[in-house]
Amino acid sequence: MWAIYKRELKAYFTSMLGYVFLTFFLVFLGIYFVVYNLAYQYANFELVLSGMDFIFIVIVPVITMRILAEEKKQKTDQLLFTSPISITEIVLGKYLAVVTVFGIAMCFSLFYPLILSQFGTIGMGAAYASILGFFLMGCAYLSVGMFLSGVAENQMIAAVLSVIVILLSNLVEGIVSVLPTDSLSVWLILALIVLVIFGIVYWNTRNLTLTAVLAVIAEAVMAVVYVAKASLYEGLLEKIAGCLALGSRYNNFSMSILDLESCVYFLSAIVIFLVITIQTLNRRRWS
Amino acid sequence: MIEVRNLTKKYGDHKAVDSLSFTVEQGEILGFLGPNGAGKSTTMNMITGYISASEGTAEIDGHDIFEEPEEAKKCIGYLPEIPPLYGDMRLREYLKFVAELKKVKKSERKNTLDEVMKLTSIKEMENRLIKNLSKGYKQRVGLAAALIGNPEVLILDEPTVGLDPKQIIEIRDLIRDLARNHTVILSSHILSEVAAVCDRVLIINKGKKIVIDTPENLSRRMGGSSGVEMKIKGEEGIVKEVLSGIEGVTDVSIKKGKHEEGIVYLTVYSSKEKEEELGEAIFYTLAENRCPILEMKAASMSLEEVFLEVTNDTHASKKKRRLLDSEKEKEEA
Repeated sequence: MWAIYKRELKAYFTSMLGYVFLTFFLVFLGIYFVVYNLAYQYANFELVLSGMDFIFIVIVPVITMRILAEEKKQKTDQLLFTSPISITEIVLGKYLAVVTVFGIAMCFSLFYPLILSQFGTIGMGAAYASILGFFLMGCAYLSVGMFLSGVAENQMIAAVLSVIVILLSNLVEGIVSVLPTDSLSVWLILALIVLVIFGIVYWNTRNLTLTAVLAVIAEAVMAVVYVAKASLYEGLLEKIAGCLALGSRYNNFSMSILDLESCVYFLSAIVIFLVITIQTLNRRRWS
Repeated sequence: MIEVRNLTKKYGDHKAVDSLSFTVEQGEILGFLGPNGAGKSTTMNMITGYISASEGTAEIDGHDIFEEPEEAKKCIGYLPEIPPLYGDMRLREYLKFVAELKKVKKSERKNTLDEVMKLTSIKEMENRLIKNLSKGYKQRVGLAAALIGNPEVLILDEPTVGLDPKQIIEIRDLIRDLARNHTVILSSHILSEVAAVCDRVLIINKGKKIVIDTPENLSRRMGGSSGVEMKIKGEEGIVKEVLSGIEGVTDVSIKKGKHEEGIVYLTVYSSKEKEEELGEAIFYTLAENRCPILEMKAASMSLEEVFLEVTNDTHASKKKRRLLDSEKEKEEA
């Protein structure tokens, strides 16, 4: 695992990628710091980070797109998968490397509250809690990006996919808020989404009977639930959207709250995406 | 050392490899021969654990590649068709990375690297970026990486592709040297290479095993009724008549196309029983009839012809294959 970690980390800094990422991140951090803290004279560093959370749409694709897709394209995965190490070690090594790169960038943000404290008293706890929250949110996004890099054919597709996914997770609550909330419409919308999901499953597996049977069962269960207890569907879309909106989990941190629930949420997201990345790579050997 | 049982790989309905079984003994070099798309690389990818099998299994030194992958992979050095190199690394750095992956002890790492670089003669390039190396060097770096950790089994997918003739000879010699304390499987569609290096040859086509035997046996057995190729001075009609009269001769075929006044090119075939006395009989008969023999050699099939024959799905080759099978059965009985 450490061999992979070391190689991966080195690769970021032998190519321009690592430097471009660091520069981009630090420039934006500096600009937001100057604008919020120095120009507008807010004493809260939390606001700087919450202001620049859009940055993940750019930096996550940049540092995760090649991580697995490139190995596949260059066939170097043949070396990794025929070496006496497990896929879990490969994935963990790579993930830790990308987290380290992001961590290096985040280390610089540790100085800003100290700079601010020179000008008066500031809530140090809140500032550092928000840095922790921001870091965990970034790690969760990175695990999503890595998973998409494992799915995609090449790094361009991986980059586009992660932009779309991060964008959607930011917009999903907004989209849902304009949709109707009564139980009938929610049921119909969910039924449609389930159909689309099974369509994607069929496209991937090419197994018509299995996907059709599963789709029919899922739709039937949803119909039965609607007949038995329609009230369950009321407002369900918002709840689901709340689960998917990774970015909005940061809101509490920006209001100076150390939100442990969100920390657990980020950590779970990381674990889930690492596990499905490992599963995807494993499954690809079978197809 | 390597035992492959019933190995099958399906892509949808298409069988890329179809219940392939064979064993390789310790210290043996097995050649994999087959036209493009025969399933050579797929088979190698399964034996090395890169892809999984739909059915069947492969055991390396008693470790099942699917049950105990890490143990089995430790015994294998694999050079895939395209060497898995990172262009952004320097040669030595890359080999060090491979040594770490293969869990070579830190104290032995330096010696291991120097040794494999010396064997593949890439030492002078150790500080170059891999992306700047030529194809031949890349191939050798791949081979060096496969040798790291001194694995007992080497699996080489077309190891001499992209090398110049001198390097090809060097690599062949190297492979032969390595075979003294390694077991080697190598694939190739260069037949002379397989004939020159391998102890046994496995010919596959469309994912199926067609035949496995030593190169010599293959050419001999595929020859069917063996013949004698000759260049004789004399009248075509007379020569043919005289030769046909010899006891045991089944056919005399004159080679058309070569026109030289008074010279006949032909091949004489005989029945199996009379095969050994044929040469002598021809010599004395032609001497009596005052037709001097200018050239005479045994007409056995080259491996090249065997290969074309067995991988070609014509009626004739099927017949020949049946002949091979029946002969094998007789031998086994």
